[in-house]
Parts: sequence; C-alpha cells; structure tokens
Amino acid sequence: MINALRWIVFAIAALAMNFPILVTLSTSFKSARELSTNPGLWVYAPTLENYATVFTVSDRLNIFLYLVNSVAVAALGTLLAVALALPAAYAIARGKLGERTLLPLIVNLRAVPLIIFAIPLYMMFQWLSLLDTRLGLGLILAIVNLPLALVILVNAIRDLPGELDEAALMDGATRFQILTRVIAPLCRPAIVTSLIFGFITAWNEFLFGLMLTTSKAVPITVGASFFFAASGGGVQWGVASAVMIVGALPPMLLGLIMYRQISGSMTAGAVKG
Amino acid sequence: MTTLSQRAPSSEFRLLAVPLVLFLLVFLGFPAVVNLVYSVSEVSFETLRRPEITGFSNFAAVWNDQSFWQASWFSLRFGLLTALLECALGLFLAIFLSPLIEKRSWLMAILMLPLMVAPALVGLMYRLVLHEFVGPVPNYLWTWFGASFSFLGPGSAFWTLVVVETLQWTPFAFLLFYMAYQAIPKEIVEASAMDGARYRHRLWYIELPLMAPTIVVALLIRFIDGFRVFDNVYVLTGSGPGGSTASLSIYIYEAFFKQGAIGKAVAASVILFVVSFAVLYGLNALAARRKGAR
Repeated sequence: MINALRWIVFAIAALAMNFPILVTLSTSFKSARELSTNPGLWVYAPTLENYATVFTVSDRLNIFLYLVNSVAVAALGTLLAVALALPAAYAIARGKLGERTLLPLIVNLRAVPLIIFAIPLYMMFQWLSLLDTRLGLGLILAIVNLPLALVILVNAIRDLPGELDEAALMDGATRFQILTRVIAPLCRPAIVTSLIFGFITAWNEFLFGLMLTTSKAVPITVGASFFFAASGGGVQWGVASAVMIVGALPPMLLGLIMYRQISGSMTAGAVKG
Repeated sequence: MTTLSQRAPSSEFRLLAVPLVLFLLVFLGFPAVVNLVYSVSEVSFETLRRPEITGFSNFAAVWNDQSFWQASWFSLRFGLLTALLECALGLFLAIFLSPLIEKRSWLMAILMLPLMVAPALVGLMYRLVLHEFVGPVPNYLWTWFGASFSFLGPGSAFWTLVVVETLQWTPFAFLLFYMAYQAIPKEIVEASAMDGARYRHRLWYIELPLMAPTIVVALLIRFIDGFRVFDNVYVLTGSGPGGSTASLSIYIYEAFFKQGAIGKAVAASVILFVVSFAVLYGLNALAARRKGAR
C-alpha cells in the first residue's frame, strides 16, 4: 500500500521535474499545422520536418557551427581545468601546500557570482583579441570548472595511501614522475568524473557565451536562442523545440550513461568541499 | 644519486602548483585589480584604456540607484525561497522514495535528468510550456478549469521563476540527501528499532540530526546558486516586467551591455565581490571553528 504511494509520488515528481523536456520533445515532432490546433502533449502526426529545418544551414543560422563550438570550448575548458588541477591537487594533498589559502580560495570560487569577473574579462579579451574566439571562451570555462575538479582530485589523492609515494621516492622517482606514473593512473576514476562533470557544466554554460561571443564562436546554448527569432512571423515553436532538444541531448545522454559517477562526485564536491 | 634528505620536496610541490596559480592570477587576479581600479574611475567605452581616477562617485551612483536595491532584494528573496523549497522537497523525496531507489538505481537517473540540461535551455523551454497559444499548461488549464493565467505578468512572474528554478534544482538537493540518508549506518537504525523507537521518532531524533550537516550544505549551495541566478531568468523574462525580475547578475549585465554604464556595473561588481568573499570566508571560519571544537 505504502509502496504504491511511493510509486505515485515518484511518478508525479519525475513528470513535474521533467515536464519542460517532455513538452519540448513532443512539440519538436509536431508539424506547423498540428501545432496551431493541438497544444497538448500527444503528437498525432509526428514529423521530422523541424529537425530538417534546424539542420539546414542558412546565411543567418548554422547549427553545425554552434555544435562544433560547444564541443571545442567544452573540451578545452574541461581538459585545461583537469590539467591545471591535477598537479596542484597533488601538491595540496601531499605537500600540504596552500591547504589553508589556495584550496579555500578556489573552492569559494564555486560560490561566487562569476558575473563580477565578467566585465574586466570582457575588456581584457578585447585587448587580447580573444572576443568571439573558441580559445577565449574555453579559457573562461576552465575557470568555471576548476573548483569542482580540484575538490574531486584532492579528495581522491588524499584517499590514496601515502606509502605509495614513500616507496617511489625511495626508488629515486621525482614528485613529477610519481604524479604521472603512480598517482594519475590510480586516480583515473576521479579524473574521468571531473572530465564528465566539467564537460556537462561547460556545455551548459550560458552567461559567458552570451557576453564573449557574437558570431564565430557562439555555443549552442546561445545559438539556440537565435532560432527563436528566426523568421519575421513570430517564433516557429516546432523548430525552436527541435533546436532545444539538439542542444540538450549531449549532456543528457552523458548524464544518463554516467549517472552513478556524477551522483557520487556531486556529493563529494558538496560535502567535503 | 641524491638521498631523501637532500631533496627539497616543498619546492617540487611548489613547481607543480605554479601553472594553476599563474592561470588564476591572469584570469582572476588581473580582472579583480581592473575591477578595483575602474570602480573608482570615470570610464566609458571611448576611454576604456585610460581610466581617470575620480573617487567613489560610481559607488554613490550604485548606492542611489533604486534598481540596484530592487535587484538585491530579488536575488536575496529568490535565493532564500528556492533554497528552502528545493531542500524541503528534496528531503521529502529522498527519504520517502529511498526504498524504491535502493532496489532500482535507474530511477535516480530519471530524477537527475533536469540537472543535465542547461538552465538557459530550460528557461527557453518554459517559454513554450507557458505560451498562451501553443503551451500545454495554459491549454490544460483552459480545458479543465475554463480559465488560464498570465504566468509572466507583473504579479506572477516572480513566482513562476521560483517554480521554474525549484523544479530544475530540487533533484540536486534530493541527490545530496539521498546519499546522506544511505550513508547512515544500518546498525544505528536497527538498534533504535530494537529499542522500540517509532518510525516518526527515529526519523526526527536520529536520522534527521545525522543528516543536518548535509542539509546545511545543501541550503547554502542552493541559496548561492539562486542568489546569483542569471540564465533561466534572463531568457524567460529578461528583467521584466518593469525590472521586477532583475537579479543582481542581470543588473550588472544590463548596466554594462545595455546602458554602457561601465563605472556603475564595475562598482556593483566590486560590492558583490566584497560581500560574497566576506560571507564565504566567514562561513569557512565558522565551519573550521566548529570542526576544532568537536
């Protein structure tokens, strides 16, 4: 009896929280004609014409460019964050370096409204000609990803026994060698988690994409909103829905496949940080 | 060959941390300095590289700007309300649904799905969901109740945004609480059951106190994210109607990009910067002291 109630609560919660995704998915398969007569969830005559429109390059809209941009900036922002965080995490966890200064500073960064850095970064990028470049946006996304990557990696290295380092030191290894040959391989799960997490976060970022890009480096979160103003006659909701699904799908799939790792690290980053 | 004592491990460690520190100095340290200098300067897009230090007139302009206070109030209220709602709902779901999810962890993936979608896209999706002609919510309200409701109108926009934010981020609170609930040692629960404690009492006197640290952390994280909200609010209402839904992030963005009021935007950034770091370090110190006392 109580179990039936649990299932009902689960169904309501799942439906309510995923409702915008379901509505958008359903609308993306409706033809323009059906859309005007049927605002409900059910699709009577599903069509792929909206997706065909989305994947047609016009002189104003280019979904492929936005997707490639998103892949490129998310990959750069993720790899760079982990590449910077891993050696620093090792120094913090084993060398006790900056445990009371660097670590809290970066962890607090997770909680600071990033808009406060946005204006000087915009000016700096103007001087360096990094506005509207993938490199520029990727660098910023690395900042966004750093706090969580650092916390995850510091925790992972702290969990490894210190005897490993001692033994390698005795064998004459340098700290750098220990990091690359002993610590990094053993931390692989944590590294993978920070990469997945970073990729999803970077893919979903909007504020800096909006501020720092205008045409060449526009990511999909910003590019999707371009489709809302596509034609003169108001929003074509079918097309707009299709582009939102396309933009939301990669992180959703990644999340569905890797939900165990993600749920674990979300807790680690939140509680231990 | 060198011996262990001849090595200087700390310098090796320092070298390993150098790239990160340099990166932070360039991309956060330098902007912080620019913020400070520009906040006390007279500056426009024409004189961007030659700011003229003039004192605190920018701060005075922010202080006397009614929309700054309106945005602060929005952010504070929005952060508090969404954090409380998300944590209350998340706590209920985590405890009530845990018997289901323990056996079928894929159920968790379904509840986690909203967390994977960009808040900006979720905001755009709600433009469809709430649309008066093509949106299902107004449609169902019409068919079932014969009336609908202006979701993004002056009185209701704030509450619509609270619901939008809460529905997307309750899964985050749920996830933290579910993990904390699972981490409660089974012996404790069993022992209390042996002693004849009722479920209600066990929950109130044993399980919830054990989860208290997680609850505090979740409230804090959700408050911060609600306070600094930008993406979904910006795409859903802009800052309207009439600036009533401008968060502090949106206030700064609009001051800079729409009004070109660089000085004001930078001064507001500095205020936000100082307040955030003061609060965060205060909380850290508090947490460290509690840890030491234990």
